[in-house]
Amino acid sequence: MEKEQYQQLEQSVTPKPPYFKNAAKAFFVGGIICTIGQAVSLFYIIFFDFTEATAGNPTVSTMVFFAMILTGFGLYKRIGQFGGAGSAVPVTGFGNAVISAAIEHKSEGLVLGVGGNLFKLAGSVVLFGVVSAFFVALIKYILVTLGVVSW
Amino acid sequence: MMLPIVVCMALLSGCTEKEKFIVYGPPQNEEEVEAVLKEEKFVERTTVIQYDDKMLVAVQFKPWDKWKKAKLEKKLQKKFDEKYPNKDVFVSADYKIFYEANKIKKDQLEDNKLTDKISELKKLAQEET
Amino acid sequence: MVIVFQSKPSFLAGGVVAGPLEKRSVFSQYFDTIYDDERWKMETNEQGHRKMIQEACEILMKKSGVNNLEIDFFLGGDLVNQMTPTNFAARELAISFIGLFSACATSVSSVIVASLLTELGASNLSIAGASSQHNAIERQFRYPVNYGAQKPQTAQWTVTAAGFALIGKHREECPCIEAATIGKVIDYGMDDPFHMGAAMAPAAFQTIQSHLEQRNQQFYNYDLILTGDLGQLGLKLLKGMLVENGVKKEELTLLRDAGAEFYGQDEAFQSGASGAGCSAAVFFSYIIQQLRAGSYKRVLLVATGALLSPLSYQQGETIPCTAHAIEITMK
Repeated sequence: MEKEQYQQLEQSVTPKPPYFKNAAKAFFVGGIICTIGQAVSLFYIIFFDFTEATAGNPTVSTMVFFAMILTGFGLYKRIGQFGGAGSAVPVTGFGNAVISAAIEHKSEGLVLGVGGNLFKLAGSVVLFGVVSAFFVALIKYILVTLGVVSW
Repeated sequence: MMLPIVVCMALLSGCTEKEKFIVYGPPQNEEEVEAVLKEEKFVERTTVIQYDDKMLVAVQFKPWDKWKKAKLEKKLQKKFDEKYPNKDVFVSADYKIFYEANKIKKDQLEDNKLTDKISELKKLAQEET
Repeated sequence: MVIVFQSKPSFLAGGVVAGPLEKRSVFSQYFDTIYDDERWKMETNEQGHRKMIQEACEILMKKSGVNNLEIDFFLGGDLVNQMTPTNFAARELAISFIGLFSACATSVSSVIVASLLTELGASNLSIAGASSQHNAIERQFRYPVNYGAQKPQTAQWTVTAAGFALIGKHREECPCIEAATIGKVIDYGMDDPFHMGAAMAPAAFQTIQSHLEQRNQQFYNYDLILTGDLGQLGLKLLKGMLVENGVKKEELTLLRDAGAEFYGQDEAFQSGASGAGCSAAVFFSYIIQQLRAGSYKRVLLVATGALLSPLSYQQGETIPCTAHAIEITMK
């Protein structure tokens, strides 16, 4: 059998990823995570001296804390398998990426293991987040200078 | 799976049953303030607290208008400043301020405590991070 | 490519240990020990991996009533970098050792080498086999174990298991190795590390074809042709290729895949099981026991291996694969 022929066979046998089903699951899982996040945020606003503007930081750290607990008990990967992008995109997914790497590399010691590998997966998120933020800000700055939009 | 969503919706809809425009404090130009706020379509709920020559206007915008929160907040502030030039008006669209304003109204705070509380809130609202 | 063994070295015994998740395997009743701790009470996964290999070998020796001084060679491999678990286990076992790497096909390639040594007269008894430990291998090839990435339906689950066999001179009452085929490295341009079945199927196809051809046998001359870890999709593809090549559909019932059957129809494991331990565990427990019981007379075992590394696929290389086969018969 030739390569091209085999690739055709492979295409016909391999099931197509169920995009719609995956998107629907991601929508609900992501939505639930964000609803919990909103509840945490409201909790900080009502019971502590945080405003809508300042409640973000403690909310993020609380959500990452939840992700840490779930990752440690091996539950987050199950949520991830079910929810896909819905559990990867919110900050809990970032927390999971950092914490799973930390657990994994604990065996190699604190400095070279945990320290060196903590951002193995999340490092690119940090890097490209900062880079894209820079370019978005630059574009907006130019537009504002030209008078197209205002801040 | 639907449970958290349902619970959350119940929480949100619970609030809309209450009075939408509240003005609290000594009854000066109460109706006028209410009218000023009602003029603006993006305002959903407000609580206004008046004392001495000061005024705290806590507003909540309609969901889609929250995108432009900072801008609309400024617009309202300007409007109030023009309308009441001899009053110290403070407009905030932050939920925290709105929540606390409602609490003040509910607890019927005394005047001296009120002043402290309001300045505290003002400080809080101006915090950046 | 085909080696015919004149002296017909025999499988004297098999030793298989598996991890806690492998309790769910349909083959679990044939395993010697199922351990409840996937780390074998060691500190790291890699140490647990080593311990697992050690235990499989110790069980094997105990079963056949020999000690390590009587064994001439230890041949084996795993999938961890530089094969440290097997190398370290060899340190503990203190048997002359050669590490072998054919990825998941090591289970068969080690048996081939052991049979050759036996045929040569250099070995009286030797241990051959392979192993894999889920956590250690996943971390090596993919993401940290607890990272919540969604696996596609084509993915396979690396098993935690070690399977070793004791190969010795021909004995009537034991299954014996008649012939073997050392496979070529085949690359059909597949490059998805989450779809290994598709990459490995052509290698299995080539090896089966050339083995049948050179041995002058037909598909139906075997009671069973068992591939290692193609998974459900890989098995489908292999069947597709065989049908294309003139094998009759009813003959295809003779073709089975250890990886596809390993966890039954459990969807949590996507396309099935994989890993060097998958084929080794099934071949050296279920198959040997079935042969001894007389259920099968002639079996062709084909272990497939994907010869990739995380580096190679990240650099955009395709996945070359190999497959080795042994023909086992029982009087």
